[in-house]
Amino acid sequence: MKSLPERLNDRLERRTVWSWQGEEPPDRLLSPEHAPNRDPEVDELVALALRLQSARPLQADPDFARQLEQRILVRNAALRLERPGSSWWFPRLLRVHPVFGLALSLCLLLLLGTGVLAVAAQVTNPNNPLYAVTRWERQVQISLANSPEKQTELELQFARDRLNSLASLANSAHAEAYRKALTELDQQITAASRAINTLAAGADHDRMVIELAAFKADTRHTLREFLPHLALPERLVTTDELGRLGDTVPRLTSAVIVLPVHPNEQTTVSISGDDIQPGAQLLVDNRLVQVRGSFQNGLYVFVAHWVGNQHPHSIGILNPDETAAQTTVITPGSSNEHGNGSSNHVGNEKGNGNGKGKP
Amino acid sequence: MEAIDGQLDRARRGEPEALSALYRLLLPAVFGYIAARVPDRATAEDLTSEVFVKMVEGISRLRASDKAGLVAWILQIARVTVAGYYRKREHQPTFVPLEPADWEEEAPGENWVIPASNPASDPAQRAEARDEWDTVVKAINTLTEEQRQVLIGRLILGYDVDTVARMLGKKANAIKALQFRALQSLQRLLGKERSPEHALQIHTRRKEDAP
Repeated sequence: MKSLPERLNDRLERRTVWSWQGEEPPDRLLSPEHAPNRDPEVDELVALALRLQSARPLQADPDFARQLEQRILVRNAALRLERPGSSWWFPRLLRVHPVFGLALSLCLLLLLGTGVLAVAAQVTNPNNPLYAVTRWERQVQISLANSPEKQTELELQFARDRLNSLASLANSAHAEAYRKALTELDQQITAASRAINTLAAGADHDRMVIELAAFKADTRHTLREFLPHLALPERLVTTDELGRLGDTVPRLTSAVIVLPVHPNEQTTVSISGDDIQPGAQLLVDNRLVQVRGSFQNGLYVFVAHWVGNQHPHSIGILNPDETAAQTTVITPGSSNEHGNGSSNHVGNEKGNGNGKGKP
Repeated sequence: MEAIDGQLDRARRGEPEALSALYRLLLPAVFGYIAARVPDRATAEDLTSEVFVKMVEGISRLRASDKAGLVAWILQIARVTVAGYYRKREHQPTFVPLEPADWEEEAPGENWVIPASNPASDPAQRAEARDEWDTVVKAINTLTEEQRQVLIGRLILGYDVDTVARMLGKKANAIKALQFRALQSLQRLLGKERSPEHALQIHTRRKEDAP
């Protein structure tokens, strides 16, 4: 004896066969009470199935069916207009040829990787996340170079690239990026110089030495052009870099500050150092003080009204050629010692500052 | 008649004839499935429209290449659409229509219950018929999704057990069991009031009434 689900299914199958043949089933299928082998439990379920099958609410209205067909055809036409020459074949091709899909994925990955490298190569701002890729790319290029000469040329080329990229950062909006880029330029010049030193004496070595010297001259010229566009902290670091490149720039050794004893008296700042130009302006805590100075006994002396009696953290000068220097070696002096450099030392022994003093 | 895979390919390319053919093939299943789950014809028609618009928009991405896969796909869309309808309805107040709906006007009980007189002229019977269909919908909504899909595949579409088994990714015996349990649950939920004998009488009388 078959199970109930089997018997029910058999009965429904017979009903379906009649239905698909487009005929009404014989009465014995509809009236189980007349069937020779009556199966009441299955009969009830078959009857319920028939009722569901023929339930009017489950059948779509012909008018609605026609309207909906028109609607989906209109929607289809609109979609075809939206995507002319659509690439319907593409996903299908992937399904049909998985190997093609794999190859295509690899190509896409390669393209993506190449794309990232290409984009990264254009990135010049050290604050851009892709800049790390640029640096990595350069390291790889250098390590893959097949000769010391080639490596040296690359180092020098990257230094040139860095200098070229500085131009877009030489403004107050990119101060931090400019400082980073300038540091990298310095490192790149050092690396190029070191690479030249590894070359054996000969024509290549001499040629690279000349190229490096020419590049340093270019760099000095370029950095000087940047100076008027830079904020004071960036001028200070640029001046430092110019100094490292062999340019003549101011260097401050120390400063003596004599604060007034009485409120009506003036403060005197005496600065010692090299290459302080006539007409240099005073910088106190990275701020320009509108006061004229003059050379007295080998010192550059500024006399100014001082508000308050606090000692500054840094004293600097701004030369007329826009180079700047500062020192944090500041010593307080007394009024009778003014001008002779005799003082009580309170500085931190640093020489030329880098602009990081508190304003 | 063209094989289903050929029709599917042409439909994926957006050929209107192929889309029409698929639509006509699938409409009874989709409408039957939705109408068995929502309380009125207007909602069933709205949701059916929604399903077929989604079909047109998504058929280019369909991976199925046979009838069972196609039906499984469209019923999945219908299932999600109905679920969305009920989700939205949870946040909306219920409206009770003052005028009779089309559903009721077109002799709702004709195939489910046989009224003693013309139902369209008798509000009480109309309400009774509506309540009865609501009961059926509620009963169908208590079935599992697989049970519902088996009933649609077997009763509305008239597919054999093997095709429904492919549609649901199950074995033929499992489909027979699901079919049995679905009808058994419905019978229990609808009660003895709608006895099979009564249904058969309806069916027979309809035959006699036919011209």
